[in-house]
Amino acid sequence: METKLLEIINTVLENRTNEKLTSLRPDMNLRYDIGFDSLDLAELTVRIEAEYDIDIFEEGIVNTIGEIFEKLNRK
Amino acid sequence: MNILITGISKGLGLETSELLLKNGCTVYGISRTKTEELNELMLKYPNELKWLQYDLGDIERIRQIIFKDWIGLNTPIHGLVNNAAIAYDDIITNLNLDLLEKMYRVNVFAPMMLTKFVIRQMLIHKESCSIVHLSSISVHTGYKGLSMYASTKGALEAFSKNTAREWGEIGVRSNCLVAGFMETEMSSALSDNQKNRIYQRTSLKKPVDLNSVAETILFLVSNKAKSITGQNIHVDNGTI
Repeated sequence: METKLLEIINTVLENRTNEKLTSLRPDMNLRYDIGFDSLDLAELTVRIEAEYDIDIFEEGIVNTIGEIFEKLNRK
Repeated sequence: MNILITGISKGLGLETSELLLKNGCTVYGISRTKTEELNELMLKYPNELKWLQYDLGDIERIRQIIFKDWIGLNTPIHGLVNNAAIAYDDIITNLNLDLLEKMYRVNVFAPMMLTKFVIRQMLIHKESCSIVHLSSISVHTGYKGLSMYASTKGALEAFSKNTAREWGEIGVRSNCLVAGFMETEMSSALSDNQKNRIYQRTSLKKPVDLNSVAETILFLVSNKAKSITGQNIHVDNGTI
């Protein structure tokens, strides 16, 4: 799951020509550490939903990589 | 271009669908009923016209049925034409909350949810997308009995302008086509006398031509309108 999520996050990062990530840590903040803005987060949500059929933002804001893992594991 | 359009069984929706098909678009059309005219159009364009029977009052299942099961998340959508609407007309002192809520579900909430999922689909495919909401001259010029209906269209105009601002940078355009009174089923409840009074308020003194509205929708979804967004385009015979 971690490899797939890393791949998705790097796809979204391509929008900003940001450097790709080589690994993910649970404490990474999506906005401050990875640099996503609200439109990037929207794209991230949709790409995760396409892969796992879960809308990670449905019940409120998600801030960290760890919170995404938690939502995906709950399925 | 793949265009999703609602309310295609008759009137403006049918006319617009035919025009889009003639111009090489693939049309994903939704309506509650299949009329004879729609059936004929489906026979004429068996591959290019895809039809789904759906009642847009059923907002909760829009994502599953329209986007996941029918169109499929792998199909890019290049245009959304929010045409379906119901008209609940009465004077305000007779306002019935159930009827008002039903009208808001179809005229406002369903278009907003369709917009949500079209933009989400667009985020995956990264292809530009044009949204056209059908609005009404009753938003801009008052008519007795139309306050509730006009309020639904006013909500769409506000939603459209803000959609344009919020999503423009990723290639979403959103405009409203403000139609004047046409000779469709929507205005069939009006008496000839009422209709004539309405037409007399326009510069051209006649009903708005359906085809002229459809042609403008085609223009707005096409690349020819690529610099137009956040606008209300009036096709109303000059109601000034």
